Amino acid sequence: MSTDVTGSNNRFDTSVTQLVIGGVVLALCVYMLIFVINTTMVQEFYGYSRQINARVPTFFIRMGLLLVALASGFFCITGHSYYKRNKLAVAPWLFLAIGLAFFLVYVIVPIFQSISYSFTKWNGLYDINGVWTGEWVGLHNYRVLWEDPNFWTSLKNNLIWLVLFMLAVPIGLFIALFLNQTVTGIRIYKSLFFFPFVISQVVVGLIFSWAYNPEFGLLSEVWGWFFCEMKENIVGNLTRVCSVEPPSILGDAKMATYGIIAAGIWPQIAYCMILYLTGLNNVSSDQIEAGQLDGAKGWKMLWHVVLPQLKPATFIAIVVTVIGALRSFDMIATMTQGGPYGSTNVLAYYMYEQAVGEGVGRYGYGSAIATVLFLIMLVYISYFLWRMYQDEKEGG
Amino acid sequence: MSLRFTKLALGAALGSLFSGALLASDLVITFDDLNPDKKAAYEAAVDAFKKANPDINVVANNGDREAHKDTIRNALQNDAPDVITWYPGNRMGPFVDAGLFMDISDLWSSDPNLSSKFNAIKPTMSRDGKQWGVPYSYYQWGVYYRKDIYDKLELSEPSNWAELLGNCDTLKEAGVTPFTIGTQYLWTAAGVFDYLNLRTNGYDVHNDLTAGKIKYTDPRIRDTFAKWEEMLDRCSFVSTHATMDWQAAISPFAKGDAAMYVMGNFSVGQYKDAGLTDDQIDFFQFPEITPGVPRAEEAPADAFFIPANAKNVENAKKFLAFIATPEIQGDWNKAIGQLPPNSDAEINTDDKFIVEGMATLSTAAGLAQFYDRDAPAAMAKAGMEGFQKFMLDPSTLDEVLEGLDKVQAEVY
Repeated sequence: MSTDVTGSNNRFDTSVTQLVIGGVVLALCVYMLIFVINTTMVQEFYGYSRQINARVPTFFIRMGLLLVALASGFFCITGHSYYKRNKLAVAPWLFLAIGLAFFLVYVIVPIFQSISYSFTKWNGLYDINGVWTGEWVGLHNYRVLWEDPNFWTSLKNNLIWLVLFMLAVPIGLFIALFLNQTVTGIRIYKSLFFFPFVISQVVVGLIFSWAYNPEFGLLSEVWGWFFCEMKENIVGNLTRVCSVEPPSILGDAKMATYGIIAAGIWPQIAYCMILYLTGLNNVSSDQIEAGQLDGAKGWKMLWHVVLPQLKPATFIAIVVTVIGALRSFDMIATMTQGGPYGSTNVLAYYMYEQAVGEGVGRYGYGSAIATVLFLIMLVYISYFLWRMYQDEKEGG
Repeated sequence: MSLRFTKLALGAALGSLFSGALLASDLVITFDDLNPDKKAAYEAAVDAFKKANPDINVVANNGDREAHKDTIRNALQNDAPDVITWYPGNRMGPFVDAGLFMDISDLWSSDPNLSSKFNAIKPTMSRDGKQWGVPYSYYQWGVYYRKDIYDKLELSEPSNWAELLGNCDTLKEAGVTPFTIGTQYLWTAAGVFDYLNLRTNGYDVHNDLTAGKIKYTDPRIRDTFAKWEEMLDRCSFVSTHATMDWQAAISPFAKGDAAMYVMGNFSVGQYKDAGLTDDQIDFFQFPEITPGVPRAEEAPADAFFIPANAKNVENAKKFLAFIATPEIQGDWNKAIGQLPPNSDAEINTDDKFIVEGMATLSTAAGLAQFYDRDAPAAMAKAGMEGFQKFMLDPSTLDEVLEGLDKVQAEVY
């Protein structure tokens, strides 16, 4: 390719050659991708290692073809005189193209697909000829949803999560204020407080469900000091007899959600704390001193001098906490799987359970739940974007 | 010259590759159990098949059971193996209805084993009057109890409802919780419900209920729940059942705090792992509730199916016929401590639970698969949640039953 932009005699020729070669390769790749490469062909080619290995080579061959197609596409475009004239305007889009393509295929298209599934009754299967087995039912799923007590339970739990999870922000702030001092070994204390955020949510969930366990958990051990005694049972084994049974937190529909939230908020507090700690590093000491001279102390100092300077940290803390509350999926999956009898479901988990989980296979219904969740998120995200936009306008 | 040579070599190589692929006859099997004993039994059967059919190139795959429940959808629709494991009863329904499983009624009518030795389980393998799979194993359900506790209190195995309730009273007076159960994963509660329903109303009502022909608010189903309420009241279950899985529920049983467990035979190994011996545990069939109702039992089966997309159908049928033979059925189930569906197959007579199970099932009037296999998955999920809710708070009965009717109207 000629790098000479200002003009050479054969510019027209090069770009046409380039366009033709690139176009042919591109067309070939797309044709292969769509019509030729399928699992059967790869299976034949790999003969005996079928079945286990078939997916992997197909995947790599497809990815390879996709890359060649992209490269030839670029080759095509860069050879064109239009590109050469508008390099600055076009180049960023070329770089964005791959990301946008994937975003379109894996995010945008599925959103519309699942919205369209929500108007159908479908068990997730295609028949032997690849024909979709569902049927169009209009708004039926939404009507069922409206009358489904489990849906309202899930929605209510989502709200409880949102409200209670917000406690992580002030608690995180106070821990941060408390840790924001120079004592020997403060780094160790900070790390210890930050620790729950580092371990996996699944591990946090397991630790808490063990602690809550009414048979052998930490909570029931402590309970045992007050209400229980060891007795010999009928076959001579020592067993615990309690005058008041220890609470079965995850087994009781009234307490289970709060039990999970308590587990979920623990790492979230650590996250907010670290956000505020970094925020506190940037609090200007001049203003603190000025405040001190004017006689501000304690709460007043915090409220009028420190907090306004922490506004960006607060904003981020609130945003991540809301997101954390909405993606509470993994905690629920590890601790109760939505039980007892669906009382700890949130929309995300209920959607998963109805569509994919345990072969229930109500894909249409699951999609309807997903659509409702999507609309709720949309409201929040729109507000968030609008706020950002407003702040930018003020700032700029 | 050299170019021509290369071309020739390439052509020859490709030719041999494809002709090789055409000549060798393949069989791809997908199995779904990685537990050591189950895996070994499966591999032994495959090896025996290889020995009997040296011309078939067998590719035997195995995977995790829970993951299989997700991947089977893809496997049936995209690259299907020739033989795959799945559950009979209503669980095979969606795949049969979508045409993803192959109809093997011809094999059932022509094969000497399938046509005559599988009568007890044949209805389970049938849908729309056709047969879709071949079972390799099944097991009984019933009540496992602490024989030492029963002996100490001079109790005997109950043969009817009143005797069971009487035993419970005695056990409670002695400070023993009559039943243990762990309902965290819900299905254990369905076992209790199924037995109460089978004994109160019989096999047909069980089938009609799980097939969506009877409502949950039907008076007969209410009778079942009334019995359950009685059971909750007099034969109380361990109080923390909602936070325990079925393995955790063995702990009070092993300690002697609880005396009975409504379970499947796969649990026996776990009792022994928990330190109990054959002298301490025993088995009885769930006692009669309504006199005169023919005794039906729970007997979930595991089976092999041929996907409609299978490429080597003849070999697949050969394999299914092979695993239906009494020798393979006997060896396989001896190895995994379960029962062979082929009535001619030998069983392990040293295992008292297997012997008793065989006696129980071979005389049963009907074999139910299990609530969550007989009912469609969406119904089963809601149903079992309802059972758990009822167990935790029997006063919610009406709410539960009406809710289930709504789901039923939606699912079927």
